[in-house]
Amino acid sequence: MLEVHAVSKTFHSGTPNEVRSLRGVNLDLAAGSWVIIIGTNGSGKSTLLNAVAGTFLVDEGNIRLAGRDVTRWPEHARAALIGRVFQNPFSGSSPSLTIQENLSLAARRGLSRGLGWGLKESLVARMRDEVGRLNMGLENRLENAIGSLSGGQRQALTLLMATWLCPELLLLDEHTAALDPKSADLVIALTEHVVARDQLTTLMVTHSMHQAASLGDRLIMMHRGQIIHDFRGAEKRRLRLDDLLARFEEVRRAEQLDESAAQMLAEKYI
Amino acid sequence: MSLLIGTFTIGCILSLLALGVFISFRIFAFPDITADGSITLGASVAATLLVRGVSPPLASLAGFFAGMLAGACTGTLHTRFKINPLLSGILVMTALYSINLHIMGKSNVPLLSVTTIVTQSEHIGMKLMRGATSFNLAGWEVSVRDASVLGAILWAVALTGGLLYWFFRTNLGMAMRATGDNVQMIRALGVNDANMIVFGVAISNGLVALSGALLAQYQGFADVGMGIGMVVWGLASVIIGEALVGTNQLGLTLSGTVMGSVLFRLLVAVALRWGLSPNDLKLITAGFVFCALIVPQFLRKKWPRSAHA
Ligand SMILES: Nc1ncnc2c1ncn2[C@@H]1O[C@H](COP(=O)(O)OP(=O)(O)OP(=O)(O)O)[C@@H](O)[C@H]1O
Ligand SMILES: [Mg+2]
Repeated sequence: MLEVHAVSKTFHSGTPNEVRSLRGVNLDLAAGSWVIIIGTNGSGKSTLLNAVAGTFLVDEGNIRLAGRDVTRWPEHARAALIGRVFQNPFSGSSPSLTIQENLSLAARRGLSRGLGWGLKESLVARMRDEVGRLNMGLENRLENAIGSLSGGQRQALTLLMATWLCPELLLLDEHTAALDPKSADLVIALTEHVVARDQLTTLMVTHSMHQAASLGDRLIMMHRGQIIHDFRGAEKRRLRLDDLLARFEEVRRAEQLDESAAQMLAEKYI
Repeated sequence: MSLLIGTFTIGCILSLLALGVFISFRIFAFPDITADGSITLGASVAATLLVRGVSPPLASLAGFFAGMLAGACTGTLHTRFKINPLLSGILVMTALYSINLHIMGKSNVPLLSVTTIVTQSEHIGMKLMRGATSFNLAGWEVSVRDASVLGAILWAVALTGGLLYWFFRTNLGMAMRATGDNVQMIRALGVNDANMIVFGVAISNGLVALSGALLAQYQGFADVGMGIGMVVWGLASVIIGEALVGTNQLGLTLSGTVMGSVLFRLLVAVALRWGLSPNDLKLITAGFVFCALIVPQFLRKKWPRSAHA
């Protein structure tokens, strides 16, 4: 479904601030699989998702999605295939538009937008239905500006928007990190529900080891712009919280080792 | 009375300018000052066509499309060539000065002896009143000519406002509103935001130019300098409208902008009556907008809580 092949991305190339955010990343996603991405801060998780979504074009490598080479496609063109939820609950919706206007925008993701009436009766009926299923009491507030809602409510709606038209690929970037624990649980339950219902191919970044252990059918760990671990099938199912923490500790120690080695070399030779 | 009606009429004509400014400044958060040039563009295109005998509605519409073209240029400079919005507007506005001179062939085109929307609506009004030159409105003597011009302009503004309200609730229009609100989101939903900005700034300047076309017909001439300071004028109207009705609902804000324009014109007329020198008008307008921009900030600093509620 998604094939990321030898993708590299360097920011501020050629300046002192140069960051090699992705270094030859390879990733192959089968249709219907749900991949969890974990990794230290700055390891390139968001950059990988942005590269797939087309927020920027990659320096090297190519990306195929649903049988098409999308490497050079601009972000808005790729959006026809991709549903996205961001870490910031305010990034996924338009605050001054109403709930129903936001949903109706999502109902035409990747389709042409002409002078057709945005809020058709049948569409609004489906909105009332689906928003009602969130159990947030929002179905009676469809005409309220979405900016007046809480972060949790907005994130739940953003997830609804991202999956309104079944996307070929769903990208979730720490979409519960900014929420209080109760809202986070709610949004995770909703995520599990839609991913299972529509058999969505999903790429989800998380900082929660608990989510990483309990969700998805495959887990990859990133470090310094590379994928350093890839657990799938039975191996992923066997993974426990403690295993993940141990892996993190390993990375951390290797890192320190790197640094102390570098320091030693520096002392010796400089 | 005639003065009051005249004030209302000009307020309504300039409300189209205010609607244009509302679209660029408020919906797209695009500080577009092309409007200073495109209001003159609309006037000069319409006036030149009228002198050649083109029908007034058609000439006004031509002004509208010319304005759209100018707006599209500004939008393209910004989106395609990554020039800062203000500078894009300045470039096009400056270029328009020469273009307007070329269109008119001189710096001023009088419209005193040609058929315009004004003479047409006067004609229709007279016909409806069966030749009477004035009628009595609640004790006031109202000239049929003045009233019919105001009626025609009101009708045009209502039609434009209604069209805009409808447009901004279509799929395309909603995508435009969301573009100004949250670019990240609208891209993720598959909208080419650059196209939206170009199209939106085009519509904005189309309205401004239409306003110029009507203004030229109302005052009886098009002049190459008539656009100076018009953006600030439109902005003042938008701000007054927001103070009147708030910013919560699209329909309200659109009508608030129209009301703001009329009210501002009224205030200016009163001030001029009281002896304000017309030379100081633009200074006062700029001062007013300055205050309107900083007062909310000031209030928020002083009483953070009440400003949030
Ligand atoms: N648009 C950008 N411009 C410049 N540098 C960037 C950009 N995006 C990412 N980076 C850099 O790339 C590196 C990887 O960032 P990225 O956001 O992918 O990390 P992450 O794994 O998502 O981390 P976190 O867990 O903190 O979200 C960081 O050093 C970051 O500063
Ligand atoms: Mg990140």
